[in-house]
Formats: sequence, C-alpha cells, structure tokens
Amino acid sequence: MNIMSESKTEDFKLKFGPENPNAIEVRDLVKIYTGRKVIEEVRAVDGISFSVNKGELFGLLGPNGAGKTTTINILVGLLDQTEGEAFVGGYDVKKNLPKIKELIGVCPQQASVYQYLNAKENIELFGNLHLVKKEVINERMEKFLNLLGLSKAANRAAKKYSGGMLRQLNLIVALISDPAILFLDEPTVGMDARVRRATWDFINSLKNTNKTVILTTHYIEEAEVLCDRVAIIDFGKLVALGPPKELIAKHGAKDLEEVFLKITGRRIMEGL
Amino acid sequence: MKRQRIFAFVKIQLKSLIKVPTALFIILILPVALILIFGFAFGSIYVEDYGWTGQDGYLFEFMVPGFIAISGLFIAIPVALSFSEDREQGLLKRINTTPTTAAEFMVSHIISNIFMAIIQVAIIFVLTFLMGAMRYITLTGILLSFVIMIIFTLSTIGFGLITATVSKSAKAAGGLVWIFLLPQQLLASNLYPLPPETQIVTMFMPLYYASDALSLLFFGVDLGNLRIWWDLLILVAFSLVLIIAGILLFKKYGRA
Repeated sequence: MNIMSESKTEDFKLKFGPENPNAIEVRDLVKIYTGRKVIEEVRAVDGISFSVNKGELFGLLGPNGAGKTTTINILVGLLDQTEGEAFVGGYDVKKNLPKIKELIGVCPQQASVYQYLNAKENIELFGNLHLVKKEVINERMEKFLNLLGLSKAANRAAKKYSGGMLRQLNLIVALISDPAILFLDEPTVGMDARVRRATWDFINSLKNTNKTVILTTHYIEEAEVLCDRVAIIDFGKLVALGPPKELIAKHGAKDLEEVFLKITGRRIMEGL
Repeated sequence: MKRQRIFAFVKIQLKSLIKVPTALFIILILPVALILIFGFAFGSIYVEDYGWTGQDGYLFEFMVPGFIAISGLFIAIPVALSFSEDREQGLLKRINTTPTTAAEFMVSHIISNIFMAIIQVAIIFVLTFLMGAMRYITLTGILLSFVIMIIFTLSTIGFGLITATVSKSAKAAGGLVWIFLLPQQLLASNLYPLPPETQIVTMFMPLYYASDALSLLFFGVDLGNLRIWWDLLILVAFSLVLIIAGILLFKKYGRA
C-alpha cells in the first residue's frame, strides 16, 4: 500500500522529464571552511561527484566529520559550496533554491521540533509552511502517526517524548509535504533496536512511493538493508560508490560494515 | 508572502504564551503583579506638584504610564529567548529548508508580539481602571496609548533580535537582554522624578518617548499638545531603526 499520494512526484516527473533521470547531481563539489572561528582552513568536502537517480534510496556513509552533513547542507541550501556544482531536482542550488525547497523534505540530524507543541501541532505547522491543505495534512498526519506508532502520544508535548519518539516525529515532519526528494540525516540515531527496525520498515516503504531518499547514517547495517546504492565519503573525498552487494563482492567482504572498515580504516592508518 | 504560513507561525507563537511558563510570566503575570503590588502600596499616597507634571494626584497614578511602557519592554525577553532557543534546537535551520521566506517568518513574529502587547496593555488598563487610577485619560487617549505601545513593541522586538544575534545560547540571551532593559527601566520609565540632567542619556532610549507620551495622555493633556506627537514621531523613528537593524543583523549573523 502506498502511504502517500504521488502528486508531487508526478509534478516532478513533468518538470524534468525522462531525459533527466537524476534527482540529484553533484559535480566536483568542494566546501572549505574558513573565517575567524576556524584556526586553519578545513576542506570538509573535497571534490566529490555523484548522482542519485529518481526513486532511488541512496546512502551517504562515512566516519564522523567525513563531510556527509556538509554535503547534505549544501544540497538543501543551508550552506554555500566553495567550488563545484550541485543540482537538486534539476535545479542549481546556487540559483534556484526556492524551487528546490518546494521539492524537498529534510529530516535533520538534531530532532528539530517545537518542544512545547505536541506532535500534531508540530506536523500541522510544517504542513502549513509547505502550503499543504488542512484536510490533506490531517489525513497524512493520521497515517504517519499510526504507521510509526505515535498516535497515542500525538497530543503530548514533544518535550515529554523519549529520544526515539522525537526522532520519529522529526521524520514525520519531514514527510508531511509529500516531498519528491527526502533528505534523512542520521534519522535513527538514539533509537532502540525495536523502534529502529520499525523506522527501517517505514523508510523502506517509501520506495513504493517513487520518492528519492538520501540517507546518511552511522549504522552501516541500516544502509545495507535499505539503500539501493551507497557512497562512502572519507576526509571529504568519495572513496567508494555502488550497490551494497557489489561493494561487498568487490572487496571480498562478508558485509558492508567490513567494506566500510577496510576502506576508511586503511585511510586512517595511512594518515590520509 | 503567504497568509497560510504567517498564520501558522502566529498561531504557534501565541500558543507559547500559554504553554511556555517564562513567556506567560513575563508577558502577563509580571505586569499584573506590578500593577497590583504598586497599586496597593502607593494607591493611597497623595502627592502635590509631582515631578515634571506639576500636578497633584495619587503616587500610583503617576507610575501607571511607566508600568505600561515597562511591560511592553519586557516583550524583548521572550523574543530574545525564543529566537535563541529556536536556533539552538535547529528549528531556524529546519524552517530555512522549507519554502518559508525570511519576510514571512519575521512578519509573523511582529504580528504575534504586537498581539501580545495589545493583550498586555488591555489587561493593565482594566486593572488600573478598577483601581481608580485612570481619572483623566480620555477614550481617544486610551486608543492612542494602544498605538504608542504597538509602535514601541517594534523597538522591543528589535532589542530582542539584536540580543539573540549576539548571544551564543538562550541562557546567555536571557542575561544579555537586560543590557537593553535595565538602563531604560531605571532611567526612562517615568516611574519616579529624575533630575533633568539625566535626559542627555534618556533621549537615546525609546522607552522614554513611550512613557512620556503615555504620561501626557494619562493626565488628560490635550491631544493638540505637540509634545505627544513629537514623542510619537521619535518613537516611530527609533522603532523602525531598531526593528530593521534587528532583522538585518539576525538574518546575517544570528541564524547559524
């Protein structure tokens, strides 16, 4: 069962047409942090290029400080790149940010919801910011709250939620506008194993809605289970790209975690 | 600008008045407490030839305009706190990833804070009336008082935004905002007579013009009195400069 309408996804197809299969395209992207607060220049993203197909669930993996969140922040318009190009939904992030914001949903690493509001009020607010009609907000909200098991706590203030519940609310808020492209930055951090599994099922079900999902995660198993393709970033550089199974076979590893450790571990050992 | 977005923000900001104890205390409970405490303490003390007014009356009557103006000034505290907290919790960044424009966000904050100021002034007027300290003000004077407080609220939002911009955390904002509030409260509130020499400082404080105009209205000074309109004009200028400076500074340095 599709948990969402495909209205925006259809619009999205019309805008870009079959000649442009990429939902996201990143070319030679560089982000250098400079300024008063930074003692020495930091090359957080160092010339990475990749593309994400429409309807793909794409994982961005990497150790802490590898440049995953910086890349996402550039794609959603929170940061300006230093060099290179980035396109989201065919739009240049430097030139067409308002258009991009209409297409995307962002689930940030920090559970960013109004603590004094309850789940319903938070979801309604973000639905309104995307100009979703009231009845549609209510319909989707009920569906998501049920699917993630938050219905009973829907009228409770967010500040009374557990860490896992806050994360789930964070995810629902990102989905309320039925975005064509969804950015999930560490969506399951802090969840217990049971809630994490339920959230995986939920994210997996998004594949049926033809959404493009960009997922960053520390849980390599999560990426292996959910993602069609993954990119491994280390020290701001793209060090591996492909479907999890292909990467596992290529590196003769037993799972993606081993691949990850082989690649990133070796680079740490080599002092790169 | 889309009304749906502005109304959505106004709605949640007004909800904070009920759901956030700090906001409720600062915006409603504190002004009410001030009026009640000072009303009962000084409501029966009769003074002659009071301060610059040169009028006779109950001491509390001379203080009411100052309390109204100070209550409006307190709005800077929840403004500074809410912007700092929203930034700390990543909400500003999240809102920035939606199609919401900076203008929609700021306009909604201005509307909700003006609405809060109107509620605040209305409550103070009702209480003051019940305590018999509104003997001279006319109906037009009451309406003009609301206009003065609406304009003054813009300057307090400006103070709140500037505080949020320079503060690293909500806790710091809660302390720093008093740099703007305390000197105005002590020197420019018209709560008690001060020597004319202090005017060299108070002329740079928007609270002075708000409380001065309110004092004139409370003592039934004719609306044709140019001093009221001069106060109002300077207040408009202060408020515009502060709100524009607050918005620009916060937009440039305060959102990250």
